[in-house]
Amino acid sequence: MKRPPHILCRKNRILLKELIKTDFKLRYQGSFLGYLWAVLRPLLMFAILYLVFAKLLRFGDDIPHYPVYLLTGTVLWNFFTECTGQGIQAIVNRGDLLRKISFPKYIVVVSATATALINLAINLCVIIIFALINGVAPSLSWLLVPLSIIELYAFALGISFLLGAINVKYRDVTSIWDVLTQALFYAVPIIYPISLVVSSGAFGTLAAKVILLNPIAQVIQDVRFNLITDTTVTTWSMIGAYGLLSILIVVIVLALAAIFFRRKSRRFAEEV
Amino acid sequence: MSNPAIQVTNLYKSFRLPTERASGLKQAILNWFKGIKGYTEQPVLRGISFEIQRGEFVGIVGRNGSGKSTLLKLLAGIYYPDQGTITVHGNLVPFIELGVGFNPELTGRENVYLNGALLGFSNKQMDAMYDEIVRFAELEPFMDAKLKNYSSGMQVRLAFSIAIRAKGDILILDEVLAVGDAAFQQKCNQYFASLHGKQTVILVTHSMENVRRFCGRAILIEDGKIATSGDPETVAKAYENLWKQEEN
Repeated sequence: MKRPPHILCRKNRILLKELIKTDFKLRYQGSFLGYLWAVLRPLLMFAILYLVFAKLLRFGDDIPHYPVYLLTGTVLWNFFTECTGQGIQAIVNRGDLLRKISFPKYIVVVSATATALINLAINLCVIIIFALINGVAPSLSWLLVPLSIIELYAFALGISFLLGAINVKYRDVTSIWDVLTQALFYAVPIIYPISLVVSSGAFGTLAAKVILLNPIAQVIQDVRFNLITDTTVTTWSMIGAYGLLSILIVVIVLALAAIFFRRKSRRFAEEV
Repeated sequence: MSNPAIQVTNLYKSFRLPTERASGLKQAILNWFKGIKGYTEQPVLRGISFEIQRGEFVGIVGRNGSGKSTLLKLLAGIYYPDQGTITVHGNLVPFIELGVGFNPELTGRENVYLNGALLGFSNKQMDAMYDEIVRFAELEPFMDAKLKNYSSGMQVRLAFSIAIRAKGDILILDEVLAVGDAAFQQKCNQYFASLHGKQTVILVTHSMENVRRFCGRAILIEDGKIATSGDPETVAKAYENLWKQEEN
């Protein structure tokens, strides 16, 4: 047997860098607007949501800087779906490589999700510009935003490893995840303010608490809290220390996914 | 005094072949309820042991489906053995197929570096090899053109040049000798002849001519076992006899 190489040894880093570079170069090749699409996509989605929910249905009238608030939610959501979408497909998409060259399989997943990460970085700059235009005062709490993003990325990576490994054998996973994310979109307070859930009936408060246990919801609310307005209802303000459960979910998913992926990856080359 | 580059002992490998179209969740769940495994084990290699010394040029021959490509992939670390061990001393550069990861939308230059990274070479190492690769491929004026604008002959030449210029301790080649026009082939043949005794090479081929010409030793694999191993002439004869037996 070959000695197991270090997970981030030089050879793997070279490969990761080269794959990310290639993915990035190829993603928007042949399109007229090219890389602008990375920013345009969430912006267009935001425009639609803003028109429908803020202007027509008058959501978020009680939230200061609601447009930026909404944009932040859509950008983070977009990141999560792009990340998992690419990550789950990664092993199958790169099957040609896996069948012919030996390298740690996780590299393929990480490189596929890296483009989403780069896009997010660009979109965050757009959000900050919008926030400043909208009159949000810069604050030290902005420095906490990267922590939330690391958490969201870890969650997306965990899901990518877990479902990506299953997807090698059962391609249904891609479709199931598609439907699931669409449902999940409404289970996360992106378009509606969480206060709407609280005031929605007898179980409103309980429902809001459950919603905020979702790591995605927790991250989005935290980023809004730190970036835009401290009137944001967060997991911590709603559930207190029990909110740690959402971080625990991320840790457990990532750990299980890593173990599962590692075990399954031995046969990827044969099965893909 | 033995100085092994690769030691293989008692290697077993079988594949799981799905019995029905089991690539869906529905079938998997049905199979699970019925207690069906959903696949059959197809043994490919059954107990292979050999040793390759440093600097040897070894040919591996065998019919289609005899298990030689599987053996190569095991050596390259792409598959994991069910049983047995493989010990590799040194840096092994596998060419199971030429131009792995080649992307038509990238330029020739970009593809060389990507291919190099896939084989485990850093940008710096590739910088050192780059000029030589391009010169050998005779593609100097085309390196900034996209690969999709190359003729298929040009693509193969580029891939092949990376393969033979890549500096590794052990080179694994699978059936890739027949590329390019006659002039390029001759250049390749000269190169292979020059490797003799200097570089450890494992070559999988169907051409007994190449076995006789380049290899210092050959191994014939039949039904997942080593049928004959030894000097190229003997093995080439044994391989040719496989067909004669069948004809009679």
